[in-house]
Amino acid sequence: MVVHQLLSAAGPVDAVTGQARAYRRAFEAWGWGGSDHAALIDPRMGRWIRPLEKLDPEPGDVLLLHYSAYAPRLRPLLALPNRKLLVSHNITPARYLWSHEPVVAVYCSVGREQLPEFARSVDVAAGVSEYNVAELVAAGARRTAVVPIVFEPPAAAAGNGGPPAPSGSPQAVSGGPPAPSAPPKPPTILFVGRITPHKRHDLLLRAFALYRRHRAPDARLQLVGEPLSPAYAAAVRELADELAPGAVTIEGGIAPVALWERYRSADVFLSMSEHEGFCIPLLEAFSFGLPVIARPVGGIPEVAGDAALLCEGDDLAVVSELLALAVSDRELRDELAARAARRLAAYAPERALDSLRAAVIAASRG
Amino acid sequence: MTEPEQALAQARASAETMKASGAYGDDLAGFRVDSSDVVDTKQLVEWALIEPDPANLYSTRTLGAPITFLKRLLLRALRQYLGEIVAQQTRFNIHLTAYVGQLTARVEALEKVAANDAAQRPDDPVDGA
Repeated sequence: MVVHQLLSAAGPVDAVTGQARAYRRAFEAWGWGGSDHAALIDPRMGRWIRPLEKLDPEPGDVLLLHYSAYAPRLRPLLALPNRKLLVSHNITPARYLWSHEPVVAVYCSVGREQLPEFARSVDVAAGVSEYNVAELVAAGARRTAVVPIVFEPPAAAAGNGGPPAPSGSPQAVSGGPPAPSAPPKPPTILFVGRITPHKRHDLLLRAFALYRRHRAPDARLQLVGEPLSPAYAAAVRELADELAPGAVTIEGGIAPVALWERYRSADVFLSMSEHEGFCIPLLEAFSFGLPVIARPVGGIPEVAGDAALLCEGDDLAVVSELLALAVSDRELRDELAARAARRLAAYAPERALDSLRAAVIAASRG
Repeated sequence: MTEPEQALAQARASAETMKASGAYGDDLAGFRVDSSDVVDTKQLVEWALIEPDPANLYSTRTLGAPITFLKRLLLRALRQYLGEIVAQQTRFNIHLTAYVGQLTARVEALEKVAANDAAQRPDDPVDGA
């Protein structure tokens, strides 16, 4: 089998590029050939990804198109006679972007409009979650498949041994036998995800401000993610300084080792995101036994299962109370960590790769 | 212990109790995400003026400082020509934005007239009744 992967753009911190790389490793392990191509290539990328112009497929080769936004350079490839598999990664609704990054909004808007053309022109259309697949069905896809994100639990989480001890307990400070004089550790709330409007950092900061004012005056919030733009990052920073001065840390582009350290030292993972196709950070938090509070939107209920506290409604006081509960109730944390381990098993990389293999083979047979 | 399935109900009850005692009445003003497919004219006017930040001209490569230097040197060398391009584009943007503003004002005026006419008109007969 020869499979060529095609991307609109490839970059070192791009999630779709990361998946394409994981797919290629699997293809090589299965003895499959092919090459990976992108229309736009970040100079920081290695040579494993080639320009789209270099694509020269044989008639029997399968083309795997990664789709996450308007892809004008991939569109002509739909006319090629090869068998095709589309992997739809999720398109952010443009309404979140018009006021902040109109060019990105155009890409998302046109990307959604053209999804039906892509979905109907391929042999199999795959989504990373049932939620994404439902969009593909609505777009007119004839054959669909769920190919979950290939998630490799971080090695740093191995032997994690359950959730971190609740803040305020001596174990939380030392990670071992309690030191009698050790001061209690302030609760740390974590969110990992791009700093973009649909992730609703504004709500997250407000919920955290309430928690800090009414439940934990020494609490800290750690935000990790690349900003949509310097202007949007500045707006979020300004709001953080207004609502919880000195208590919010915002970091972007940190190395995996540092990221795993953020998970390890946090008490709760809180997401107020309004749109998620899959939400990889959920699984990352599960890997570290971190309790998760999130809104039940997009693919989140499907990925989280019964292992997260899903908060419906807009009442941020309720989110604040959930934070207080998740930080302080040791047994609740243990139960969530046990359930998280089961969710991780459901999303084991070998299972995702089995789904990928089946989808590619189905596409190759037409 | 709180079961995960009971946590939300417990948090809601707790929030209600605290609100009853005067908590959670905070004024949390400030930046708020606006999710809308419509961009207002004020925002369009702001974008019409093109002012690229020269600080955004850099190399993303490891050890890219010499490339950044060369790019900025080139920017400086082409300043006059780039200024002309920016001026032309800005002129078009401003005229277009002003035109959109005029059209918006006319539509609003016409809608107002239509609403007044509808309010003064006697009820239309329904289905010939």
